[in-house]
Amino acid sequence: MVNKTGAVYEVLSPWAEADPIPSRGINARVTDLAGKKIGLYRNGKRAAEPTLKVVEDRLKKRFPTTEFTWFANFRANEAIVEQDAKGEFEDWLKGVDAVIAAYGD
Amino acid sequence: MGFANDAGSASRGKGMPVLRYMPTNVPCEASIMEDIEAGVDGALDDIIVALTKQLTAEEKSPKPKEPEKPARIIFKGSPEEVNRFFYQRGWTDGLPIILPTEEAVAEMLTGTDLPPEHLLGKLQSRNGKATMEKIAVNAVMAGALPTYLPVLIAGTINLLESEPGFMGYTTFGFSTGSWAPFWIINGPIRNQINVNNSSGAFSPGNIANAAIGRAMGLIIKNIGGVRKGVEDMGVMGNPMKYSMVIAENEEESPWEPLHVEHGYKKEDSTISLSFPQTYLQHWPYSADAKGVLNAIVDNTPRGMRYTYIITPTHAKNLAREGYSKEDVKKYVAENKLVDVSHIMAQAGMRSPSSLSPPGVPSGPMPKPGDKIPMIRDYKYIRVIVGGGPGAFIAHVVGGGATPGKKEIQKIELPKNWDKLVARYRNVVPTYAKY
Repeated sequence: MVNKTGAVYEVLSPWAEADPIPSRGINARVTDLAGKKIGLYRNGKRAAEPTLKVVEDRLKKRFPTTEFTWFANFRANEAIVEQDAKGEFEDWLKGVDAVIAAYGD
Repeated sequence: MGFANDAGSASRGKGMPVLRYMPTNVPCEASIMEDIEAGVDGALDDIIVALTKQLTAEEKSPKPKEPEKPARIIFKGSPEEVNRFFYQRGWTDGLPIILPTEEAVAEMLTGTDLPPEHLLGKLQSRNGKATMEKIAVNAVMAGALPTYLPVLIAGTINLLESEPGFMGYTTFGFSTGSWAPFWIINGPIRNQINVNNSSGAFSPGNIANAAIGRAMGLIIKNIGGVRKGVEDMGVMGNPMKYSMVIAENEEESPWEPLHVEHGYKKEDSTISLSFPQTYLQHWPYSADAKGVLNAIVDNTPRGMRYTYIITPTHAKNLAREGYSKEDVKKYVAENKLVDVSHIMAQAGMRSPSSLSPPGVPSGPMPKPGDKIPMIRDYKYIRVIVGGGPGAFIAHVVGGGATPGKKEIQKIELPKNWDKLVARYRNVVPTYAKY
């Protein structure tokens, strides 16, 4: 494509303005995993459960006094943790010291 | 690194830019335990560090991000330079664009009574502001006519509000599944803006079918900020993402049109949204009802939502034998059966579950040979009439709304609609005679 006329054009941006999303920090970390309760959050993807099971197995070997509790979600994460099972999820969170989430896509 | 980028985008989008995440070397969708164990073993030390390393000041309290306010006039140059500039920023679909000059955007905005700064909402994933002007800019780039703007506004509202859109937690825009937005247009606007519902409706060559879908794709990309390989993790991609638009052939249908099924008046105009993966076509076994319906049953692939596009001839034959649209849906849903024990064995499932594969019910373990309906309810099926002369039947299968959830949006027209239609109505291809 050759522009023989030499015409130039001013064009408008298609890229939308976006307000910044208010940022928040992450929760304080535990100093050690020994004796703690770790939450394992899995989604419905095929590899999520076996991956977290291996994580659980390996951590149990290194930290025999660590406990584990699972939260399984087989739908879009937000639909569960922000809507359908919000209360159940928040109760589960209150009972753990740290969470490892895996999505096995 | 695809999923790491995706995780970063998702965490920033939720206001947690400092979330600790790490990719593992576990292959995608892995089911081989040796691979999973090796991947976890390689990442375990990093997982422990992520859980126990104390937070930095930035992780405790991330710095607020500055508002993104791109310049309104973004570039000045020749058509070639503008196209190169836009392409290199990822703002196009790879094809050349029409230049969104001030004049072209102003002409596009004659398609609405709303002011340029009117905000419809913020579109995921970057919460970009869907203003009339931004929709118009993307519409110009796609080659749309001003008479398509009401459709694009309604389409954007559908993206913002419907369950298969970006706010319904269905994630079709961001999935690995390469789901493509599929738009069905009903009501009088179909004919006023010349949306093809007949021969080759899905083929290139009709500006409305091509530009409406293309514009919606650019809106998703440039207002929503959905980037290929970052948020849009489609593994294979999908050519239907260029444009997948059809009108229902209401005039030649013996049945009520789709929008009337959803409670709208026949004289309303609407746009419906779903996110299919698959488009396939086949012949019927014969022209009578059983020949058409059994061919549909046998050719239906597994999916979440099904749209069948049946030609006027087939539709009239079905109606003559007493089948309503609902009867067609029920016939397919009742007769598309699968051997559940075979599916479960293939998927390595040890007990019935509501999980994948779809349709496997909760309850007692089925016996070998037990068959169940593959489609969980006939309401997951849509039937529209379209296509030209000939026998082929089309399936558009994949994702969509849960029955009863929003998937359709009324199209509102500007006050000058009749004049606008008169100005652009004759923009149609007239083939050379030879």
